[in-house]
Amino acid sequence: MRIHSKIIFGTLMALVVISAPLGAQTKPQAAIAAPGGLTLRVIAAAPPADTLHDPQARAWEQVAPLRVGLNRTPPLYDTDPPSTLDIAFVEVRLARAGGKLLIHLAWKDATQNSAVLAKAPDAPPETREYKEHTQATERFFDAVAVMFPSQPSTAGVSPSLQMGDAGDPVTIYYWNAARGAMLMEAQGRGTTRRTGQTFPARGEFRAGGWRVVLELPELPAGQQLSFAVWNGSQSDRDGRKYFSVWHTLE
Amino acid sequence: MSRHQYAMVMDLNKCLGCQTCTIACKKLWTDRDGTEYMYWNNVETRPGMGYPRQWDNIGGGWKDGALQPSPLPSIDDYGAPWEYDYSQRLYEGKGKPVMPSPDPVSGPNWDEDVGALNGDDNFYFYLPRICNHCTNPACLAACPRQAIYKREEDGIVVLDQERCQGYRYCIAACPYKKIYFNEITGKSEKCIFCYPRLEKGEVNACAAQCPGRLRFVGLLDDPNSAVHQIVMVHKAALPLFPEKGTQPNVFYVPPFNPPKRTNYGQSILKDPRLPLEYLIYLFGPEVKDLIVRLEAELTKAQNGTPSDLLQLLIGRDAEARYQIPVHEQLVQIKSFTG
Repeated sequence: MRIHSKIIFGTLMALVVISAPLGAQTKPQAAIAAPGGLTLRVIAAAPPADTLHDPQARAWEQVAPLRVGLNRTPPLYDTDPPSTLDIAFVEVRLARAGGKLLIHLAWKDATQNSAVLAKAPDAPPETREYKEHTQATERFFDAVAVMFPSQPSTAGVSPSLQMGDAGDPVTIYYWNAARGAMLMEAQGRGTTRRTGQTFPARGEFRAGGWRVVLELPELPAGQQLSFAVWNGSQSDRDGRKYFSVWHTLE
Repeated sequence: MSRHQYAMVMDLNKCLGCQTCTIACKKLWTDRDGTEYMYWNNVETRPGMGYPRQWDNIGGGWKDGALQPSPLPSIDDYGAPWEYDYSQRLYEGKGKPVMPSPDPVSGPNWDEDVGALNGDDNFYFYLPRICNHCTNPACLAACPRQAIYKREEDGIVVLDQERCQGYRYCIAACPYKKIYFNEITGKSEKCIFCYPRLEKGEVNACAAQCPGRLRFVGLLDDPNSAVHQIVMVHKAALPLFPEKGTQPNVFYVPPFNPPKRTNYGQSILKDPRLPLEYLIYLFGPEVKDLIVRLEAELTKAQNGTPSDLLQLLIGRDAEARYQIPVHEQLVQIKSFTG
Protein backbone atom coordinates (compact mmCIF):
# COMPACT_ATOMS: atom_id res chain seq x y z
CA MET A 1 0.00 0.00 0.00
CA ARG A 2 2.93 2.37 0.41
CA ILE A 3 4.48 4.40 -2.34
CA HIS A 4 8.08 3.41 -2.95
CA SER A 5 10.75 6.07 -3.20
CA LYS A 6 12.13 4.61 -6.40
CA ILE A 7 8.87 5.48 -8.08
CA ILE A 8 8.94 8.97 -6.68
CA PHE A 9 12.37 9.65 -8.15
CA GLY A 10 11.76 7.59 -11.24
CA THR A 11 11.43 9.74 -14.27
CA LEU A 12 11.70 13.30 -13.14
CA MET A 13 13.22 15.56 -15.74
CA ALA A 14 13.93 19.02 -14.48
CA LEU A 15 14.17 22.13 -16.54
CA VAL A 16 16.08 25.25 -15.78
CA VAL A 17 14.45 28.43 -16.69
CA ILE A 18 15.90 31.30 -18.54
CA SER A 19 13.58 33.92 -17.23
CA ALA A 20 12.66 37.24 -18.62
CA PRO A 21 11.30 40.16 -16.60
CA LEU A 22 7.63 40.85 -16.84
CA GLY A 23 6.86 43.19 -19.65
CA ALA A 24 9.43 41.77 -22.04
CA GLN A 25 7.95 40.98 -25.43
CA THR A 26 9.76 37.74 -26.21
CA LYS A 27 8.49 34.43 -24.84
CA PRO A 28 10.86 32.90 -22.30
CA GLN A 29 12.64 29.70 -23.18
CA ALA A 30 13.42 26.63 -21.10
CA ALA A 31 16.31 24.19 -21.16
CA ILE A 32 16.87 20.72 -19.77
CA ALA A 33 18.93 20.22 -16.63
CA ALA A 34 19.81 17.37 -14.30
CA PRO A 35 17.10 15.36 -12.46
CA GLY A 36 16.17 16.40 -8.94
CA GLY A 37 14.18 19.05 -7.13
CA LEU A 38 13.96 22.35 -8.93
CA THR A 39 14.59 25.81 -7.67
CA LEU A 40 11.31 27.57 -8.35
CA ARG A 41 12.08 30.97 -9.75
CA VAL A 42 9.65 33.62 -8.56
CA ILE A 43 8.97 36.80 -10.42
CA ALA A 44 8.18 40.00 -8.59
CA ALA A 45 5.20 41.02 -10.65
CA ALA A 46 4.47 44.54 -11.73
CA PRO A 47 0.76 44.01 -12.51
CA PRO A 48 -1.58 44.03 -9.52
CA ALA A 49 -2.46 40.63 -8.08
CA ASP A 50 -6.03 41.01 -9.36
CA THR A 51 -4.84 40.93 -12.96
CA LEU A 52 -2.82 37.81 -12.32
CA HIS A 53 -5.89 35.99 -10.98
CA ASP A 54 -6.89 35.58 -14.63
CA PRO A 55 -5.26 32.35 -15.84
CA GLN A 56 -5.29 33.69 -19.39
CA ALA A 57 -3.73 37.07 -18.49
CA ARG A 58 -1.00 38.01 -20.95
CA ALA A 59 1.26 38.91 -18.06
CA TRP A 60 1.55 35.19 -17.22
CA GLU A 61 2.87 34.38 -20.67
CA GLN A 62 5.82 36.60 -19.94
CA VAL A 63 6.78 34.60 -16.88
CA ALA A 64 9.11 31.72 -17.60
CA PRO A 65 7.38 28.36 -17.08
CA LEU A 66 9.00 25.73 -14.94
CA ARG A 67 8.25 22.33 -16.34
CA VAL A 68 7.67 20.17 -13.28
CA GLY A 69 7.70 16.45 -13.94
CA LEU A 70 4.77 14.44 -12.63
CA ASN A 71 4.69 10.86 -11.44
CA ARG A 72 1.70 8.61 -11.34
CA THR A 73 0.96 6.99 -8.01
CA PRO A 74 1.12 3.21 -8.24
CA PRO A 75 -2.15 1.33 -7.64
CA LEU A 76 -2.99 2.02 -4.00
CA TYR A 77 -5.61 -0.67 -3.57
CA ASP A 78 -6.03 -4.21 -4.83
CA THR A 79 -9.12 -3.17 -6.74
CA ASP A 80 -7.54 -0.21 -8.55
CA PRO A 81 -7.67 -0.48 -12.33
CA PRO A 82 -4.30 0.12 -13.99
CA SER A 83 -3.61 3.67 -15.06
CA THR A 84 -1.33 5.33 -17.56
CA LEU A 85 0.88 8.40 -17.32
CA ASP A 86 -1.27 10.69 -19.47
CA ILE A 87 -0.05 13.94 -17.91
CA ALA A 88 3.74 13.98 -17.82
CA PHE A 89 4.28 17.47 -16.44
CA VAL A 90 2.70 20.64 -15.18
CA GLU A 91 4.03 24.04 -16.14
CA VAL A 92 4.43 26.24 -13.09
CA ARG A 93 4.75 30.00 -13.07
CA LEU A 94 5.15 31.95 -9.86
CA ALA A 95 4.80 35.60 -9.07
CA ARG A 96 4.90 37.65 -5.92
CA ALA A 97 2.42 40.49 -6.04
CA GLY A 98 0.59 42.50 -3.43
CA GLY A 99 1.97 40.47 -0.56
CA LYS A 100 0.73 37.23 -2.13
CA LEU A 101 2.31 34.30 -3.90
CA LEU A 102 0.43 33.62 -7.12
CA ILE A 103 0.92 30.23 -8.70
CA HIS A 104 -0.07 29.63 -12.32
CA LEU A 105 -0.39 25.95 -13.19
CA ALA A 106 -0.91 24.73 -16.75
CA TRP A 107 -1.19 21.17 -17.98
CA LYS A 108 -2.46 19.35 -21.05
CA ASP A 109 -5.56 17.25 -20.56
CA ALA A 110 -7.43 15.54 -23.38
CA THR A 111 -10.74 15.65 -21.50
CA GLN A 112 -12.35 18.42 -19.51
CA ASN A 113 -13.92 16.92 -16.40
CA SER A 114 -15.72 19.78 -14.72
CA ALA A 115 -19.27 20.73 -13.86
CA VAL A 116 -21.35 23.49 -12.39
CA LEU A 117 -22.86 21.73 -9.39
CA ALA A 118 -26.12 22.85 -7.86
CA LYS A 119 -25.86 24.22 -4.36
CA ALA A 120 -28.34 23.33 -1.67
CA PRO A 121 -30.46 26.43 -0.95
CA ASP A 122 -30.22 27.94 2.52
CA ALA A 123 -33.83 27.10 3.39
CA PRO A 124 -34.10 23.70 5.11
CA PRO A 125 -35.16 20.92 2.70
CA GLU A 126 -38.36 20.17 4.63
CA THR A 127 -39.60 23.69 3.85
CA ARG A 128 -39.06 23.28 0.09
CA GLU A 129 -40.97 21.26 -2.46
CA TYR A 130 -38.04 21.01 -4.90
CA LYS A 131 -34.77 19.44 -3.88
CA GLU A 132 -31.59 19.71 -5.92
CA HIS A 133 -30.74 16.53 -7.78
CA THR A 134 -27.63 14.44 -7.94
CA GLN A 135 -26.80 14.58 -11.66
CA ALA A 136 -24.20 11.83 -11.78
CA THR A 137 -22.87 9.23 -9.38
CA GLU A 138 -19.73 7.97 -11.08
CA ARG A 139 -17.92 11.07 -12.36
CA PHE A 140 -14.76 12.60 -10.94
CA PHE A 141 -13.41 16.06 -11.62
CA ASP A 142 -10.06 17.47 -12.69
CA ALA A 143 -8.16 19.09 -9.85
CA VAL A 144 -4.79 20.51 -8.87
CA ALA A 145 -3.04 21.21 -5.57
CA VAL A 146 0.04 22.76 -4.07
CA MET A 147 1.36 21.28 -0.84
CA PHE A 148 3.99 22.70 1.49
CA PRO A 149 5.28 21.90 4.99
CA SER A 150 3.26 23.82 7.56
CA GLN A 151 6.29 24.39 9.75
CA PRO A 152 10.07 23.92 9.63
CA SER A 153 10.88 20.23 9.69
CA THR A 154 11.50 18.75 13.15
CA ALA A 155 14.03 16.23 11.86
CA GLY A 156 15.64 18.41 9.22
CA VAL A 157 14.19 16.32 6.39
CA SER A 158 11.28 16.93 4.09
CA PRO A 159 7.87 15.69 5.23
CA SER A 160 6.56 12.63 3.43
CA LEU A 161 5.06 13.34 0.02
CA GLN A 162 2.20 11.18 1.23
CA MET A 163 0.50 14.08 2.93
CA GLY A 164 3.24 14.78 5.47
CA ASP A 165 3.94 12.94 8.71
CA ALA A 166 2.75 13.03 12.29
CA GLY A 167 4.73 15.95 13.71
CA ASP A 168 5.52 17.28 10.23
CA PRO A 169 2.15 18.61 9.05
CA VAL A 170 1.54 19.90 5.55
CA THR A 171 -0.78 22.56 4.18
CA ILE A 172 -2.60 21.93 0.91
CA TYR A 173 -4.13 24.51 -1.39
CA TYR A 174 -6.52 22.42 -3.47
CA TRP A 175 -8.63 23.49 -6.43
CA ASN A 176 -11.29 21.27 -8.01
CA ALA A 177 -12.91 21.98 -11.38
CA ALA A 178 -16.38 21.50 -9.88
CA ARG A 179 -16.05 22.22 -6.20
CA GLY A 180 -13.63 25.16 -6.25
CA ALA A 181 -10.85 26.02 -3.82
CA MET A 182 -10.39 24.37 -0.44
CA LEU A 183 -7.67 24.79 2.13
CA MET A 184 -6.64 21.49 3.70
CA GLU A 185 -4.23 20.19 6.30
CA ALA A 186 -2.70 16.75 6.80
CA GLN A 187 -0.27 14.87 9.01
CA GLY A 188 0.22 11.69 7.06
CA ARG A 189 -1.71 9.58 4.62
CA GLY A 190 -5.42 9.31 5.41
CA THR A 191 -5.41 12.35 7.69
CA THR A 192 -6.23 15.06 5.15
CA ARG A 193 -8.77 17.42 6.66
CA ARG A 194 -10.71 20.25 5.07
CA THR A 195 -10.28 23.34 7.19
CA GLY A 196 -13.50 24.86 5.89
CA GLN A 197 -11.50 27.84 4.63
CA THR A 198 -11.27 28.77 0.99
CA PHE A 199 -8.88 30.98 -0.97
CA PRO A 200 -8.92 32.89 -4.28
CA ALA A 201 -8.47 30.56 -7.23
CA ARG A 202 -9.56 30.47 -10.85
CA GLY A 203 -9.29 27.81 -13.50
CA GLU A 204 -10.08 27.69 -17.20
CA PHE A 205 -10.00 24.87 -19.69
CA ARG A 206 -9.02 25.97 -23.19
CA ALA A 207 -7.45 24.28 -26.20
CA GLY A 208 -6.88 20.89 -24.58
CA GLY A 209 -5.49 22.06 -21.30
CA TRP A 210 -6.11 23.62 -17.92
CA ARG A 211 -4.75 26.89 -16.67
CA VAL A 212 -5.32 27.53 -13.00
CA VAL A 213 -4.17 30.35 -10.75
CA LEU A 214 -3.99 29.80 -7.00
CA GLU A 215 -3.43 32.67 -4.60
CA LEU A 216 -1.32 31.62 -1.64
CA PRO A 217 -0.05 33.80 1.16
CA GLU A 218 3.52 35.06 0.86
CA LEU A 219 5.88 32.14 1.40
CA PRO A 220 9.55 32.60 2.31
CA ALA A 221 12.47 31.78 0.05
CA GLY A 222 13.62 28.21 0.58
CA GLN A 223 10.05 27.02 1.14
CA GLN A 224 9.44 23.56 -0.24
CA LEU A 225 6.51 23.01 -2.59
CA SER A 226 5.05 19.96 -4.22
CA PHE A 227 2.37 19.77 -6.90
CA ALA A 228 -0.40 17.30 -7.67
CA VAL A 229 -2.86 16.90 -10.53
CA TRP A 230 -5.99 14.76 -10.56
CA ASN A 231 -7.38 13.64 -13.91
CA GLY A 232 -11.14 13.14 -13.69
CA SER A 233 -11.26 10.92 -16.77
CA GLN A 234 -8.93 8.48 -14.99
CA SER A 235 -11.28 8.40 -11.96
CA ASP A 236 -8.61 10.22 -9.96
CA ARG A 237 -9.38 11.10 -6.36
CA ASP A 238 -7.64 10.54 -3.06
CA GLY A 239 -4.05 9.30 -3.57
CA ARG A 240 -4.94 8.17 -7.09
CA LYS A 241 -3.29 11.12 -8.86
CA TYR A 242 -0.18 12.68 -10.39
CA PHE A 243 2.38 14.16 -8.02
CA SER A 244 5.75 15.89 -8.08
CA VAL A 245 8.70 15.64 -5.74
CA TRP A 246 9.53 18.54 -3.42
CA HIS A 247 10.83 21.66 -5.12
CA THR A 248 12.30 24.72 -3.49
CA LEU A 249 11.05 28.26 -3.75
CA GLU A 250 13.74 30.70 -4.79
CA MET B 1 -16.20 -7.36 16.42
CA SER B 2 -19.01 -5.33 17.89
CA ARG B 3 -20.24 -6.38 21.32
CA HIS B 4 -23.78 -6.90 20.03
CA GLN B 5 -25.31 -7.08 16.59
CA TYR B 6 -28.68 -5.80 15.45
CA ALA B 7 -30.24 -7.96 12.76
CA MET B 8 -33.35 -7.96 10.63
CA VAL B 9 -35.25 -10.94 9.30
CA MET B 10 -37.58 -10.46 6.34
CA ASP B 11 -40.09 -13.19 5.53
CA LEU B 12 -40.38 -13.07 1.73
CA ASN B 13 -43.50 -15.21 1.83
CA LYS B 14 -45.32 -12.17 3.20
CA CYS B 15 -43.99 -9.31 1.05
CA LEU B 16 -46.69 -7.56 -0.99
CA GLY B 17 -44.33 -5.33 -2.95
CA CYS B 18 -46.36 -2.31 -1.77
CA GLN B 19 -43.26 -0.12 -1.18
CA THR B 20 -44.67 1.28 2.07
CA CYS B 21 -41.29 0.54 3.67
CA THR B 22 -39.57 2.36 0.83
CA ILE B 23 -41.67 5.48 1.34
CA ALA B 24 -41.36 5.35 5.13
CA CYS B 25 -37.59 5.36 4.72
CA LYS B 26 -37.60 7.99 2.01
CA LYS B 27 -39.75 10.44 3.95
CA LEU B 28 -37.60 10.02 7.02
CA TRP B 29 -34.07 9.95 5.63
CA THR B 30 -33.71 10.80 1.94
CA ASP B 31 -35.95 13.82 1.38
CA ARG B 32 -32.98 16.16 1.07
CA ASP B 33 -30.94 17.81 -1.67
CA GLY B 34 -29.01 15.26 -3.70
CA THR B 35 -30.92 12.27 -2.33
CA GLU B 36 -33.87 11.98 -4.76
CA TYR B 37 -32.47 8.94 -6.50
CA MET B 38 -31.55 7.19 -3.26
CA TYR B 39 -33.66 4.48 -1.69
CA TRP B 40 -31.83 3.25 1.39
CA ASN B 41 -34.70 0.77 1.53
CA ASN B 42 -35.90 -0.53 -1.81
CA VAL B 43 -38.11 -3.39 -2.92
CA GLU B 44 -37.24 -5.05 -6.21
CA THR B 45 -38.96 -7.71 -8.27
CA ARG B 46 -37.01 -10.97 -8.50
CA PRO B 47 -35.91 -12.28 -10.90
CA GLY B 48 -35.17 -8.84 -12.27
CA MET B 49 -32.66 -6.11 -12.91
CA GLY B 50 -32.55 -4.89 -9.34
CA TYR B 51 -31.73 -1.44 -7.99
CA PRO B 52 -29.26 -0.26 -9.10
CA ARG B 53 -29.42 -2.29 -12.30
CA GLN B 54 -27.36 -5.47 -12.24
CA TRP B 55 -26.01 -4.77 -8.75
CA ASP B 56 -25.85 -8.49 -8.07
CA ASN B 57 -23.32 -9.24 -10.77
CA ILE B 58 -21.11 -6.18 -11.20
CA GLY B 59 -18.63 -6.95 -8.40
CA GLY B 60 -17.55 -5.93 -4.94
CA GLY B 61 -17.37 -7.98 -1.77
CA TRP B 62 -14.59 -10.37 -0.75
CA LYS B 63 -12.88 -13.28 -2.44
CA ASP B 64 -10.02 -15.15 -0.77
CA GLY B 65 -9.64 -12.29 1.68
CA ALA B 66 -9.27 -9.62 -1.01
CA LEU B 67 -11.72 -6.90 -1.97
CA GLN B 68 -13.15 -7.38 -5.43
CA PRO B 69 -13.31 -4.59 -8.04
CA SER B 70 -16.57 -3.14 -9.28
CA PRO B 71 -17.64 -0.22 -11.45
CA LEU B 72 -19.70 2.55 -9.88
CA PRO B 73 -23.36 2.47 -10.93
CA SER B 74 -24.47 5.43 -13.04
CA ILE B 75 -27.47 7.63 -12.25
CA ASP B 76 -29.39 5.75 -14.97
CA ASP B 77 -28.56 2.47 -13.27
CA TYR B 78 -30.40 3.79 -10.23
CA GLY B 79 -33.01 5.63 -12.29
CA ALA B 80 -32.64 9.39 -12.67
CA PRO B 81 -35.55 11.07 -10.85
CA TRP B 82 -37.80 13.16 -13.05
CA GLU B 83 -39.92 16.22 -12.45
CA TYR B 84 -43.17 17.38 -14.07
CA ASP B 85 -43.47 20.91 -15.40
CA TYR B 86 -47.05 21.73 -14.45
CA SER B 87 -46.74 25.48 -14.81
CA GLN B 88 -47.14 25.77 -18.59
CA ARG B 89 -49.99 23.33 -18.88
CA LEU B 90 -51.99 24.08 -15.77
CA TYR B 91 -51.38 27.76 -15.18
CA GLU B 92 -50.59 29.17 -18.59
CA GLY B 93 -52.88 26.93 -20.67
CA LYS B 94 -50.23 26.10 -23.23
CA GLY B 95 -47.51 23.66 -23.93
CA LYS B 96 -47.65 19.93 -24.28
CA PRO B 97 -49.49 17.66 -21.89
CA VAL B 98 -47.67 17.39 -18.58
CA MET B 99 -44.71 15.17 -19.30
CA PRO B 100 -41.90 13.98 -17.07
CA SER B 101 -38.49 15.48 -17.60
CA PRO B 102 -35.92 14.09 -18.14
CA ASP B 103 -37.55 11.34 -20.19
CA PRO B 104 -37.65 8.34 -17.85
CA VAL B 105 -35.52 5.49 -19.10
CA SER B 106 -35.12 3.52 -15.89
CA GLY B 107 -36.08 3.57 -12.26
CA PRO B 108 -36.12 1.53 -9.09
CA ASN B 109 -38.23 -1.59 -9.63
CA TRP B 110 -38.54 -0.53 -13.28
CA ASP B 111 -39.30 -4.15 -14.23
CA GLU B 112 -42.02 -4.52 -11.58
CA ASP B 113 -43.82 -7.88 -11.76
CA VAL B 114 -42.09 -8.91 -14.97
CA GLY B 115 -40.37 -11.86 -13.37
CA ALA B 116 -39.38 -14.82 -15.50
CA LEU B 117 -40.80 -18.01 -16.94
CA ASN B 118 -40.63 -21.39 -15.28
CA GLY B 119 -41.80 -23.65 -18.07
CA ASP B 120 -44.97 -21.93 -19.27
CA ASP B 121 -45.67 -20.28 -15.94
CA ASN B 122 -44.58 -16.84 -14.94
CA PHE B 123 -43.10 -16.39 -11.48
CA TYR B 124 -41.75 -13.55 -9.42
CA PHE B 125 -41.49 -12.39 -5.85
CA TYR B 126 -40.40 -9.26 -4.06
CA LEU B 127 -37.06 -8.69 -2.42
CA PRO B 128 -36.90 -5.78 0.06
CA ARG B 129 -33.34 -4.59 0.64
CA ILE B 130 -31.58 -2.36 3.14
CA CYS B 131 -27.91 -2.14 4.13
CA ASN B 132 -26.93 -5.52 5.54
CA HIS B 133 -24.89 -4.02 8.39
CA CYS B 134 -22.37 -6.73 7.69
CA THR B 135 -20.07 -8.28 10.28
CA ASN B 136 -17.20 -8.06 7.77
CA PRO B 137 -18.15 -4.95 5.78
CA ALA B 138 -16.31 -4.49 2.49
CA CYS B 139 -17.25 -0.80 2.50
CA LEU B 140 -15.50 -0.25 5.82
CA ALA B 141 -12.36 -2.01 4.63
CA ALA B 142 -12.30 -0.06 1.36
CA CYS B 143 -12.54 3.43 2.86
CA PRO B 144 -9.10 5.07 3.04
CA ARG B 145 -10.55 7.73 5.33
CA GLN B 146 -11.80 5.40 8.06
CA ALA B 147 -15.10 7.20 7.63
CA ILE B 148 -17.12 3.99 8.01
CA TYR B 149 -17.32 2.14 11.30
CA LYS B 150 -19.40 -0.42 13.14
CA ARG B 151 -20.95 0.83 16.34
CA GLU B 152 -19.40 -1.03 19.24
CA GLU B 153 -22.66 -1.43 21.14
CA ASP B 154 -24.94 -2.74 18.37
CA GLY B 155 -22.95 -3.44 15.17
CA ILE B 156 -24.79 -0.87 13.09
CA VAL B 157 -22.58 0.30 10.20
CA VAL B 158 -22.50 4.08 9.92
CA LEU B 159 -20.70 6.56 7.68
CA ASP B 160 -19.19 9.65 9.30
CA GLN B 161 -20.17 12.62 7.16
CA GLU B 162 -17.32 14.69 8.57
CA ARG B 163 -14.63 12.20 7.56
CA CYS B 164 -16.11 11.20 4.18
CA GLN B 165 -14.45 12.84 1.16
CA GLY B 166 -16.73 11.30 -1.45
CA TYR B 167 -14.10 8.98 -2.93
CA ARG B 168 -16.71 6.21 -3.42
CA TYR B 169 -14.41 3.23 -2.85
CA CYS B 170 -17.10 2.04 -0.45
CA ILE B 171 -19.75 2.03 -3.19
CA ALA B 172 -17.53 -0.08 -5.42
CA ALA B 173 -16.67 -2.43 -2.55
CA CYS B 174 -20.24 -3.04 -1.33
CA PRO B 175 -21.48 -6.13 -3.21
CA TYR B 176 -25.07 -5.06 -2.45
CA LYS B 177 -24.56 -1.47 -3.70
CA LYS B 178 -26.21 -0.09 -0.61
CA ILE B 179 -24.11 3.06 -0.30
CA TYR B 180 -25.08 6.08 -2.35
CA PHE B 181 -23.22 9.19 -3.49
CA ASN B 182 -24.79 12.60 -2.84
CA GLU B 183 -23.30 14.90 -5.45
CA ILE B 184 -24.67 18.02 -3.77
CA THR B 185 -22.83 17.38 -0.49
CA GLY B 186 -19.97 15.53 -2.24
CA LYS B 187 -20.27 12.72 0.31
CA SER B 188 -21.63 9.19 0.43
CA GLU B 189 -24.61 8.10 2.50
CA LYS B 190 -26.22 4.89 3.65
CA CYS B 191 -28.92 3.22 5.71
CA ILE B 192 -28.27 3.83 9.41
CA PHE B 193 -30.65 1.07 10.57
CA CYS B 194 -32.72 3.91 12.09
CA TYR B 195 -30.38 3.98 15.08
CA PRO B 196 -31.86 7.25 16.42
CA ARG B 197 -35.23 5.46 16.56
CA LEU B 198 -33.78 2.31 18.14
CA GLU B 199 -32.07 4.40 20.79
CA LYS B 200 -35.53 5.70 21.73
CA GLY B 201 -37.00 2.20 21.78
CA GLU B 202 -38.74 2.59 18.40
CA VAL B 203 -38.29 0.01 15.69
CA ASN B 204 -36.89 0.93 12.24
CA ALA B 205 -39.30 2.99 10.12
CA CYS B 206 -39.36 0.38 7.33
CA ALA B 207 -40.39 -2.32 9.80
CA ALA B 208 -42.88 -0.15 11.67
CA GLN B 209 -44.77 0.74 8.50
CA CYS B 210 -44.78 -2.73 6.88
CA PRO B 211 -48.40 -3.83 6.39
CA GLY B 212 -47.25 -7.38 5.64
CA ARG B 213 -45.60 -7.64 9.09
CA LEU B 214 -42.71 -9.40 7.45
CA ARG B 215 -39.85 -7.76 9.32
CA PHE B 216 -38.35 -8.90 12.60
CA VAL B 217 -35.81 -6.74 14.43
CA GLY B 218 -33.64 -7.47 17.43
CA LEU B 219 -30.17 -8.38 18.56
CA LEU B 220 -28.85 -11.53 16.95
CA ASP B 221 -26.98 -12.41 20.14
CA ASP B 222 -30.01 -11.95 22.39
CA PRO B 223 -31.42 -15.49 22.89
CA ASN B 224 -34.86 -14.02 23.58
CA SER B 225 -35.11 -12.10 20.34
CA ALA B 226 -37.24 -13.32 17.43
CA VAL B 227 -34.32 -12.78 15.06
CA HIS B 228 -32.12 -15.02 17.20
CA GLN B 229 -34.82 -17.69 17.34
CA ILE B 230 -35.48 -17.62 13.58
CA VAL B 231 -31.85 -17.40 12.43
CA MET B 232 -29.85 -19.21 15.10
CA VAL B 233 -32.26 -21.69 16.67
CA HIS B 234 -34.63 -22.67 13.84
CA LYS B 235 -32.14 -21.82 11.10
CA ALA B 236 -35.02 -20.65 8.97
CA ALA B 237 -33.49 -17.57 7.35
CA LEU B 238 -30.41 -16.93 5.24
CA PRO B 239 -28.45 -13.89 4.14
CA LEU B 240 -28.38 -12.74 0.54
CA PHE B 241 -25.35 -13.85 -1.50
CA PRO B 242 -23.38 -15.29 1.42
CA GLU B 243 -20.50 -16.05 -0.98
CA LYS B 244 -19.75 -12.32 -1.17
CA GLY B 245 -18.03 -12.80 2.17
CA THR B 246 -19.33 -9.80 4.09
CA GLN B 247 -21.45 -11.77 6.59
CA PRO B 248 -24.70 -9.82 6.26
CA ASN B 249 -26.97 -9.30 9.25
CA VAL B 250 -30.17 -9.08 7.23
CA PHE B 251 -31.68 -12.53 6.78
CA TYR B 252 -34.47 -13.77 4.53
CA VAL B 253 -37.03 -16.51 4.95
CA PRO B 254 -37.15 -17.69 1.33
CA PRO B 255 -40.42 -18.05 -0.58
CA PHE B 256 -40.94 -21.78 -0.20
CA ASN B 257 -44.55 -22.55 -0.86
CA PRO B 258 -46.10 -20.21 -3.40
CA PRO B 259 -49.57 -21.28 -4.64
CA LYS B 260 -49.40 -22.56 -8.18
CA ARG B 261 -52.85 -23.29 -9.55
CA THR B 262 -54.92 -23.71 -6.43
CA ASN B 263 -55.31 -21.80 -3.22
CA TYR B 264 -52.89 -24.13 -1.52
CA GLY B 265 -49.27 -24.25 -2.39
CA GLN B 266 -47.07 -27.17 -3.07
CA SER B 267 -43.52 -27.32 -1.86
CA ILE B 268 -41.20 -25.90 -4.43
CA LEU B 269 -39.24 -29.11 -4.00
CA LYS B 270 -42.19 -31.12 -5.37
CA ASP B 271 -44.11 -28.93 -7.78
CA PRO B 272 -42.04 -25.82 -8.14
CA ARG B 273 -43.74 -22.61 -9.13
CA LEU B 274 -40.35 -20.99 -8.88
CA PRO B 275 -37.16 -22.89 -9.62
CA LEU B 276 -35.02 -23.87 -6.68
CA GLU B 277 -31.96 -22.88 -8.72
CA TYR B 278 -32.98 -19.26 -8.50
CA LEU B 279 -33.23 -19.41 -4.70
CA ILE B 280 -29.84 -21.14 -4.60
CA TYR B 281 -28.50 -18.27 -6.71
CA LEU B 282 -29.75 -15.75 -4.15
CA PHE B 283 -29.20 -17.57 -0.86
CA GLY B 284 -26.66 -20.29 -1.55
CA PRO B 285 -27.04 -24.10 -1.51
CA GLU B 286 -28.11 -24.13 2.16
CA VAL B 287 -31.50 -22.88 1.05
CA LYS B 288 -32.57 -26.39 0.03
CA ASP B 289 -32.21 -27.87 3.53
CA LEU B 290 -33.86 -24.80 4.93
CA ILE B 291 -36.90 -25.32 2.70
CA VAL B 292 -37.06 -28.96 3.78
CA ARG B 293 -37.20 -27.77 7.41
CA LEU B 294 -39.88 -25.18 6.64
CA GLU B 295 -41.94 -27.76 4.76
CA ALA B 296 -41.69 -30.15 7.69
CA GLU B 297 -42.92 -27.45 10.05
CA LEU B 298 -45.81 -26.71 7.71
CA THR B 299 -46.81 -30.38 7.47
CA LYS B 300 -46.62 -30.64 11.24
CA ALA B 301 -48.93 -27.66 11.68
CA GLN B 302 -51.36 -28.91 9.04
CA ASN B 303 -51.53 -32.19 10.97
CA GLY B 304 -52.58 -30.36 14.10
CA THR B 305 -49.25 -30.18 15.96
CA PRO B 306 -48.33 -26.61 16.83
CA SER B 307 -45.15 -25.34 15.16
CA ASP B 308 -43.11 -22.91 17.24
CA LEU B 309 -41.38 -21.66 14.12
CA LEU B 310 -44.56 -20.94 12.17
CA GLN B 311 -46.10 -19.27 15.23
CA LEU B 312 -42.98 -17.13 15.43
CA LEU B 313 -43.10 -16.29 11.72
CA ILE B 314 -46.73 -15.17 11.99
CA GLY B 315 -45.42 -12.28 14.06
CA ARG B 316 -48.80 -11.34 15.46
CA ASP B 317 -47.84 -8.03 16.99
CA ALA B 318 -44.94 -5.67 17.41
CA GLU B 319 -44.01 -7.29 20.71
CA ALA B 320 -43.54 -10.62 18.97
CA ARG B 321 -41.51 -9.20 16.11
CA TYR B 322 -39.31 -6.59 17.73
CA GLN B 323 -37.08 -6.83 20.77
CA ILE B 324 -35.40 -3.46 21.17
CA PRO B 325 -33.48 -3.16 24.45
CA VAL B 326 -33.31 0.14 26.27
CA HIS B 327 -30.20 1.72 24.81
CA GLU B 328 -28.77 2.85 28.14
CA GLN B 329 -28.98 -0.74 29.35
CA LEU B 330 -27.64 -2.20 26.10
CA VAL B 331 -24.41 -0.25 26.35
CA GLN B 332 -23.89 -1.81 29.81
CA ILE B 333 -24.51 -5.41 28.68
CA LYS B 334 -21.27 -7.14 27.78
CA SER B 335 -22.81 -10.45 26.80
CA PHE B 336 -26.29 -11.97 26.86
CA THR B 337 -24.89 -15.37 27.65
CA GLY B 338 -22.96 -14.30 30.73
